[in-house]
Amino acid sequence: MFIYITKRLLWVIPTILTVLLILFSLSYLLPGDPADIILGPRATPEMAEELESRLGLDKPWYQSYLIYLKNIINGDLGTSIFRDRSVLGVIAEVLPYTVILTLTGMGLAVFNGISIGLLAANYNNSYFEKFLTLFSFVTASTPTYIAGVLLIVIFSVNFNLIPSIGIGDGGILDSLHHLIGPALALSVGWTGYIARLTRSSMLETLDQEFIQTEKSFGIPRYYILYKYALKKAIKPIIAVIGLGIGRLLGGAVFVEVIFNRPGLGRLIVDSVNERDLPLVRGGVLVAALLFVIANLIADISYAYFDPRIKQK
Amino acid sequence: MFKSQKFFRFKKKSIRVIKIMKNDYKAYLGGSIIMLILISAIFAPLIAPADPYKTNVTKRLEGPSLQNLLGTDSLGRDILSRLIYAARPAVLVSFGGIIISVIIGIILGLLAAYVGGILENLILFIFDVIRAFPPIILILVLLSIIGPSLLSVIVILGVTIMPRYGRVVRAETLSEKEEDFVEAARSLGADNSRIIFKHILPNIFASVLVLSGMDMASMIMWEAGLSFLGLGLQPPLSSWGVMLQESYQYIQTAPLMIVWPSLAIMLTMLGFSTFAESLRVALNPKLNQEV
Repeated sequence: MFIYITKRLLWVIPTILTVLLILFSLSYLLPGDPADIILGPRATPEMAEELESRLGLDKPWYQSYLIYLKNIINGDLGTSIFRDRSVLGVIAEVLPYTVILTLTGMGLAVFNGISIGLLAANYNNSYFEKFLTLFSFVTASTPTYIAGVLLIVIFSVNFNLIPSIGIGDGGILDSLHHLIGPALALSVGWTGYIARLTRSSMLETLDQEFIQTEKSFGIPRYYILYKYALKKAIKPIIAVIGLGIGRLLGGAVFVEVIFNRPGLGRLIVDSVNERDLPLVRGGVLVAALLFVIANLIADISYAYFDPRIKQK
Repeated sequence: MFKSQKFFRFKKKSIRVIKIMKNDYKAYLGGSIIMLILISAIFAPLIAPADPYKTNVTKRLEGPSLQNLLGTDSLGRDILSRLIYAARPAVLVSFGGIIISVIIGIILGLLAAYVGGILENLILFIFDVIRAFPPIILILVLLSIIGPSLLSVIVILGVTIMPRYGRVVRAETLSEKEEDFVEAARSLGADNSRIIFKHILPNIFASVLVLSGMDMASMIMWEAGLSFLGLGLQPPLSSWGVMLQESYQYIQTAPLMIVWPSLAIMLTMLGFSTFAESLRVALNPKLNQEV
């Protein structure tokens, strides 16, 4: 186990270095001259030159790459072009919103998914189960942005129950009120997935011999279901949580745009649209780091809960 | 003689698969939705009641009526006709994207499994770098480099999803390679290309097929999402994502308008995923749930 984790961790380092190289090369790949974009049409050649040396564009690419790496190790992600602030500061300001949104969404997905899956397993082969299975298929195939849009249409426009934009005025209750819609929208896709996983895992467990033994001992059905079977069936669900957090991080992009919330995803979309290169680089780097960490947790938890994986 | 035997085996297997799927309501549901989408895409000009690009500003943002069954959009265009025409980019993106990722994935996966060594590690490394980004963010950045168009959306989606196929093909090839029947074929003097095409590819075909059914749903999801953010397909083209984006501005005043493209996307994704699930159960490949 320890060797497996170390191996996975070591494998991450070259991946991140290549990610950095790709992000670095964006300044050469993105259409348009960075100096033009920043300074506008009225810039003098001296101003452009001064800016290029500030951005490190006048040196050969490998030298600038090393400077870029050095800056990142020192925690300097550069300065946003249009916001005139350090990229790290801008990201640090919005990141907590994304983290809270993602974790709340995952929590909702796990809770609702397990509940639906347990019901489906309990009433297996009935029409109710067929309905629940179809329901989980429908939710699993609802993109985050559509869930968001439909939630706004139903609960915000029609019933005026939840606010459709913003994060509230800072009070806990108001923040929660503003969080319900976005978190629910984010959770919808994974609710269906976890429900299906719970159902199949529960059915597999209920088929096993120790359950038969417990039944023959006369242990009440609900006791078997919730105490013994669930304990065993929940392992594959815990194993996918890491993976789910990574996926929801991507979905947060849409939720943040639709509900007009500050967050990492919306920051990246805005900066891509504005062609704010340092901000694009910084935002994507942080998103990729979070994603890699989530995937790492996913892999390790898989290995922990399903030891066969290690051999691969 | 060999050929006919092979054909009968294939036929037998297909009959078995069809028999299982015949008893599965998910197969009917998914199949009919996919047929509906394909028919609207192919025969759009025949089915659509009006010209999807004809604007009529005197009739903007109207609700459903006999003349415009689903109402009109902000430029007075018939929503139903636009929905039907929008099946075209959806079909193009999902089929085109999946073809690209399956072909590249199979080639890289086979290379990795067969050549091994540095090449294998390099290919796996490329997969890992692609997988290090949240997909939507990688697609966003790539699109901003290449510029949004139907072709670039298809290619970028294909490349982003490709590692899934590469990994599955590599893993299954590695295990198939050790099977007795491959060993037997090799001892009879079959060369690598024969083993790959006659013995290995047909065996991993099932996993790839099921996976691509699920991914076609994700392709449609991403295309619409990108267009919704204004970075994918561009108006005035009829696409569900473009329609979402256009009607999002009117979500407070004409909320019904955004519901139609949403339903179209959900229905399409539901169709592909239920059909793929039914296929998975019928083919029963040992498909890794994770990927």
